[in-house]
Amino acid sequence: MKLETFSYLPQLSAEQLAQQVRSILGRRLLVGIEFSSAPDPHDHYWTMWKLPLFDTDDPAAVLTELDACRQANPGAYIKINGYDAARQGQVVSFVACQPGRDA
Amino acid sequence: MFEAGVREYREIYWTPGYPPRQTDVLAAFRLIPQPGVAPEEAAAAVAAESSTATWTTVWTDRLTTLERYQARVYDLEPVPGRENQYLAYIAYPLDLFEEGSVTSMMASITGNVFGFKAIRALRLEDLRIPVAYVKTFQGPPNGIQVERDKLNKYGRPLLGATLKPKLGLSARNYGRACFELLRGGLDFTKDDENITSQPFMRWGDRFEFVMEAVRKAEQETGERKGHYLNVTAPDCEQMLERAEFAMQLGSPIIMHDYLVGGFAAHTTLSKWCRRNGMLLHVHRALHAVVDRQKDHGIHFRVLAKWLRLAGGDHLHTGTVVGKLEGDREATIGVVDLLREDFVPADRRRGIYFDQEWASLPAVLPAASGGIHVWHMPALVEIFGDDSVLQFGGGSAGHPQGSRAGATANRVALEACVQARNEGRDLAAEGPQILKQAASRSPELTDALDTWREIRFDFEAVDTPDVMPA
Repeated sequence: MKLETFSYLPQLSAEQLAQQVRSILGRRLLVGIEFSSAPDPHDHYWTMWKLPLFDTDDPAAVLTELDACRQANPGAYIKINGYDAARQGQVVSFVACQPGRDA
Repeated sequence: MFEAGVREYREIYWTPGYPPRQTDVLAAFRLIPQPGVAPEEAAAAVAAESSTATWTTVWTDRLTTLERYQARVYDLEPVPGRENQYLAYIAYPLDLFEEGSVTSMMASITGNVFGFKAIRALRLEDLRIPVAYVKTFQGPPNGIQVERDKLNKYGRPLLGATLKPKLGLSARNYGRACFELLRGGLDFTKDDENITSQPFMRWGDRFEFVMEAVRKAEQETGERKGHYLNVTAPDCEQMLERAEFAMQLGSPIIMHDYLVGGFAAHTTLSKWCRRNGMLLHVHRALHAVVDRQKDHGIHFRVLAKWLRLAGGDHLHTGTVVGKLEGDREATIGVVDLLREDFVPADRRRGIYFDQEWASLPAVLPAASGGIHVWHMPALVEIFGDDSVLQFGGGSAGHPQGSRAGATANRVALEACVQARNEGRDLAAEGPQILKQAASRSPELTDALDTWREIRFDFEAVDTPDVMPA
């Protein structure tokens, strides 16, 4: 199964993941985490893991939340989104954790 | 009283220093007068014949207020380095045009004047559409953000491919070719512009086989897929019939050739797409007939602006690096005009006027024509995320076939996006990034070996003139 952006690359390492998160934060996008147990390409609404991290500029804080989401939802697919409030839409989204595809 | 006779155009239509109004449509023409014709008179003739005048005075002139409706040449400048060539700036009052009508603008501004004997050559370089006029158009049926939201695709250019051979495949084989490309990792496949409904493959058969391929590839990969089903047809009734059938089969996107079909047909289809939530991919066959020659015709930036007004979600713009004509700066200028909400005048990019779009949805530029994996770093750098990169030959030409070719392109794309986000310089490190990614992808390795030597290094025929500051 392929899940959009970066799904044709090997699983991103922790450091590579941090770099992608840094890039999202560097663009001053809002970071959000969402998860699903059964991804479907026609599904627009995965479950939100808490609210978007409105005031974070620290990639480590995002990765801590990602980990917390993973602990609470073993076996879930988890994506990281970058949201642009001016455009009123996501401009970045990729699956960071996927069962059977761990870093 | 009425004075019959012929007056010089410049007496009325040459008004240097006239301050254009915010609601005027402004045009920049490149103008070569016939020998012996003063540039002011030639420019005034363009303004006159594209607004209120004919070659002689007529008694009915006295029944209206011509000053209210006349176009005016408000500036004229010689083109540096070119003898007897000028840029004429003309302001048209908004009342000359029908609301929401590109055909009205075309008939007025690019009508008779292009065949005027006093003018040797004439080219419409740019057009400023005032906000008051922009707001009478619907624009793209969806726009970039809505398309991304519908398809769940973010943070990278989309990938497409035109099916090859362009003509001659049966519907079932054609569907097979789609399936292989889509399951390999492309987002879209595309009918070539000359695929409509020929004896070897009727449109209904094509739509059915292709949509089976799209559905099956979605199931297999877990990603949204689409095929630009070309609905360009001999008449509007058949165009809409094909669009309806595409919708019935569940296609997310259809395609139209806007210059060939014409703006009236295109606008009808674009409004149909808005009503029915359908994405609209737009091809531009015929454009080079109109826009390639530097001295005569209509620059593509004007054709692109007209398309954004009439509506389309994707438009072909050229690739800069591939097999088709297109100066880099001018192409980037067109890309900005399709995507941005405000585009400032920039003569290096051939943009003569500020253009405000007043929140009209944006169009995704489609880069297509002779591009392959080695071009990927440059394409990602030039076009950014909001684009569709189309690799037709560059997918199906892979030694292991279409699926492997598609995967090679997808791996190359994602590697470039990842590297860019990490702050790496795609222009400088492109080949290295591709080779690194290829070490984990046999498909990319083969693609890199296959197309290493193909380049298209020709001087562009049409380039912007840079004016001294």
